[in-house]
Amino acid sequence: MFRVRITRRQEPRGWSSWFVLGAAVALSLVLSGVLLSLRDISPLTGLAVLFKGAYGSRFAIEDCLIKAIPIFLCSLGVAVAFRLQIWNIGAEGQFALGAVGATWVALTFPELPGPILLPAMILMAALAGGLWGMVPALLRQRLQTNEIIVTLMMNYIAILFLDYLVYGVWKDPTSYGFPMTSEFPPQAVVGKIGSTSVNWGLGHCLVLGTVVWVFIRFTRIGFELRAAGDSVRAARYAGIPYDRLVVLVMVISGALAGWAGFLEASATINRLQPSIMVGYGYTAIVVAWLARLNPLTIAIASFLLAGLRVGVENLQLDLQVPAAFGGILEGLILLTVLAGGLFTSYRLSVRRS
Amino acid sequence: MELAIIVPLLAAAVQSGTPILYATLGEIVTEKSGVLNLGVEGVMILGTLTAFVVALTTGSPVLAFVAAGVAGTLAAAIHGMVCLWFRGNQVVSGLALTILGTGLADYLGNAYVGRTAPGFSPVALPLLSEIPIVGPIFFNHDPLVYLTYGLPPLIWYGLMRTRPGLCLRAAGEYPAAATAAGLDVAAYRWFGILGGGFLMGLGGAYLSLSYTHLWTNNLTGGRGWIAVALVIFAFWRPGRAVFGAYLFGGIMALQLRLQASGTQLPSSLLLMLPYALTVIVLVLSSWRRGASEAPAALGVNMEPAD
Amino acid sequence: MRVLQALAVLMLCLSFSTVQAAEKEINVGFIYVSPIGDAGWSYAHDLARRELDGMEGVKTSYVEAVAEGPDSERVMLNMARKGYDVIFATSFGYMDPMLKVAKQFPNAKFMHCSGFKTADNMGNYFGRMYQARYLSGMVAGGMTRSKTIGYVAAFPIPEVIRGINAFTLGVQAVNPEATVRVVWTKTWYDPATEKEAAKSLLDVGADVIAQHQDSPGPQEAAQEKGVYSIGYNTDMSTFAPKSHLTAPIWNWAPFYRNVIEQVRNGSWKAESVWPGIETGIVDLAPFSAMVPKELQDRVMAARADIVAGSNRIFVGPIKDQKGAVRIAAGVVAPDQDLLGMTWFVQGVVGTTE
Repeated sequence: MFRVRITRRQEPRGWSSWFVLGAAVALSLVLSGVLLSLRDISPLTGLAVLFKGAYGSRFAIEDCLIKAIPIFLCSLGVAVAFRLQIWNIGAEGQFALGAVGATWVALTFPELPGPILLPAMILMAALAGGLWGMVPALLRQRLQTNEIIVTLMMNYIAILFLDYLVYGVWKDPTSYGFPMTSEFPPQAVVGKIGSTSVNWGLGHCLVLGTVVWVFIRFTRIGFELRAAGDSVRAARYAGIPYDRLVVLVMVISGALAGWAGFLEASATINRLQPSIMVGYGYTAIVVAWLARLNPLTIAIASFLLAGLRVGVENLQLDLQVPAAFGGILEGLILLTVLAGGLFTSYRLSVRRS
Repeated sequence: MELAIIVPLLAAAVQSGTPILYATLGEIVTEKSGVLNLGVEGVMILGTLTAFVVALTTGSPVLAFVAAGVAGTLAAAIHGMVCLWFRGNQVVSGLALTILGTGLADYLGNAYVGRTAPGFSPVALPLLSEIPIVGPIFFNHDPLVYLTYGLPPLIWYGLMRTRPGLCLRAAGEYPAAATAAGLDVAAYRWFGILGGGFLMGLGGAYLSLSYTHLWTNNLTGGRGWIAVALVIFAFWRPGRAVFGAYLFGGIMALQLRLQASGTQLPSSLLLMLPYALTVIVLVLSSWRRGASEAPAALGVNMEPAD
Repeated sequence: MRVLQALAVLMLCLSFSTVQAAEKEINVGFIYVSPIGDAGWSYAHDLARRELDGMEGVKTSYVEAVAEGPDSERVMLNMARKGYDVIFATSFGYMDPMLKVAKQFPNAKFMHCSGFKTADNMGNYFGRMYQARYLSGMVAGGMTRSKTIGYVAAFPIPEVIRGINAFTLGVQAVNPEATVRVVWTKTWYDPATEKEAAKSLLDVGADVIAQHQDSPGPQEAAQEKGVYSIGYNTDMSTFAPKSHLTAPIWNWAPFYRNVIEQVRNGSWKAESVWPGIETGIVDLAPFSAMVPKELQDRVMAARADIVAGSNRIFVGPIKDQKGAVRIAAGVVAPDQDLLGMTWFVQGVVGTTE
């Protein structure tokens, strides 16, 4: 008889982890291909249509970039919290409150010039999202309340609050009674880059991504964060103020998701309406984990998962595959990559027993 | 409020609490073994779909109910494989299972929308249902509700008073010591995951066999997540889970009844009630006990021994 | 932008040339706000789409579950780029995105459901469902004993509010003292919640349940309690044969077929059309035997009046819940007001928020 022996690696494997990642994605594609063939669609054709819809033209790539922006920002925030083993599932709600905060500024001070109005909107969005993220952190710090559930429940509450505003006090009088605010004044809208359809939110991503990377990599708090994330107990012995870090990362996390909410309201929809909530906050969790919490890889993963969302539309249009296919593929990729982690963080050896 | 309003409200609380109760009990069994399964929502919805399809094709609600349990077990097995075999992160694996489960149910269930399948209907229990107040609240439901009256004591007994139950709890509390004592921790964790998944599947089945006799995507509507929250509220105790599930079911029924009685409060705010209540209840229960009631090794994968 | 347009025109020409080669097949695209698995609104449109698919020289496709806003714009752009000749968008929030796309693709025809904006190549359409609602209200008013009728409603948007008002006017036409109680579920298709909402109405004494929801959940609740119910969308009598009295129903197929014929023979014009019961786009499902003959006759007489145009339903004096006159005596409410209705008539118990 043979036995498989598993031992933890001191250093996770380098280059071969890319191989494992590739294998995991390939396995997911094969499994989802089986689902396609259930509907009498050739898996290869299906995946080709999916790929073409996502990256097959300049328009498609621009669309992916537009979608990648909110996913990237939410994910960047989620990753900061995950680093400390704080399970922030609440990006969705923090995103909603960010959009609400930015909208409040845009609707209350429509006369302000752009250079003042836009920063004010960003500030308010980050503040609203940050505070919404701070509540579960404080509860966890003071009472050890489980942050997974609190952040999740606060998502529902935030979205219903957004609903309450756009169905009630903020409803545009000229919208024929439909739940949406009036359009933002032109100076409250983040513009597009050159002749493309991509907005300057991409620039925000670049700046914020760099800032977060530098913060984690080169500052003392960033160092403490990494240390505490590896081992909470060791960090406490080393005198790292773990509890304060928890609040800090949740505020950062919420502020980034709030910023994403601002960009979505300002740059892509130009107003607030319930359909702004399309689950970027949940996709962000998938992205953060696939990217192993690293800002650069988060950017790549955001672009890829945005592509999945865009490509699925093409799959529907050409082959009438239900929209749920995207979710299935997302779940499969995450599960297989997770399972693949075994091969990069552990050493397997076969022995005779 | 008058009795004429309160009694139906409480009866509705029992009914809408029942699917959550099944799922909560399932999650308790899983978590007691030291495994956190956040995929309840995904496991439940697969149970819902399986129950509906089996009921539709075989015409047997009983068979459908059992099949949903089996489907739940299989879905939970994915979590088991990722966490126990491949040592993947339990939180993320659970989330992925929810994403996968809801997507899969939506994808495969498309063809069944708009059809009705046979299911269970309310059966008033003789004598018991005659008792004033208590009768209409507890003893005028469908058989699947009655089943949940026996389940919590059974699970409590199994966990607390039997040897396998003790071992399962040891796997969740002191896996290292349990291993040293010669227990196969992984086997008990597998049991917790699969058994829990079975119960979650049954909870899903309740929605398409009793609560309604229809199928639609998202029929679970977040009930799986509520179940995860209620486990903490219940301090991992089956008895308190009953209380929590009915409380939650009661709040859901209450907000609709407030609207029906002509309140002027905006519906968005009323719909927030159940979620706000969950947060409040969680805060209150952690205030009183802290997280000390949780199985000590909850969510922590076993490190291989050298 | 200019590059984009040039590219778009080029692609359009290319796709047109291929279309011409294939004997001028008409490509029709639909975009739905929910999955067609919702069994209701999107499903009703999709049934009609499938009928179009059976027409000679017509090819259709659809994309489901598309969020209003930028996502919908992208999907419509995609359809236009792929050379679709006619595009139907079936949710209010698709209006502005469709307008933008319509301007970029002057050769395609755009049809928007439930809105009010038009362009040279964009029309809008809807059905006067409120006429059928009024008739179903008469049935409910004639059958209630408790003088309380329950109405399970989806979202407080004008379409739903207009339906509740017309229903209530119908109730009052036969039973002036009866009231209609409204519960909002904030769902279109959630059988569990909608059934529970119906039960809550039954508990406050309602003995007829009507609904503006896509699931038959409320029908089940009524049948279990042994009271009457009014369905919606399609004849729901199979779900609750012992309680279902009738239902206001949609029938989109003849309308869509007509539009395609018009496009084919060149008579299509970009205009606003709001056909009513006289065209069959809306109607009343067959009465159950439980509805007494005299009541049936009375309702059918009112139907004839509506078809003839002598009963316009929203004719003043009509008061709101507070008793203020909203439509003055003798005045017929203009379509614009109906499309943007946000208040309840007297006799409705509930709030529009």
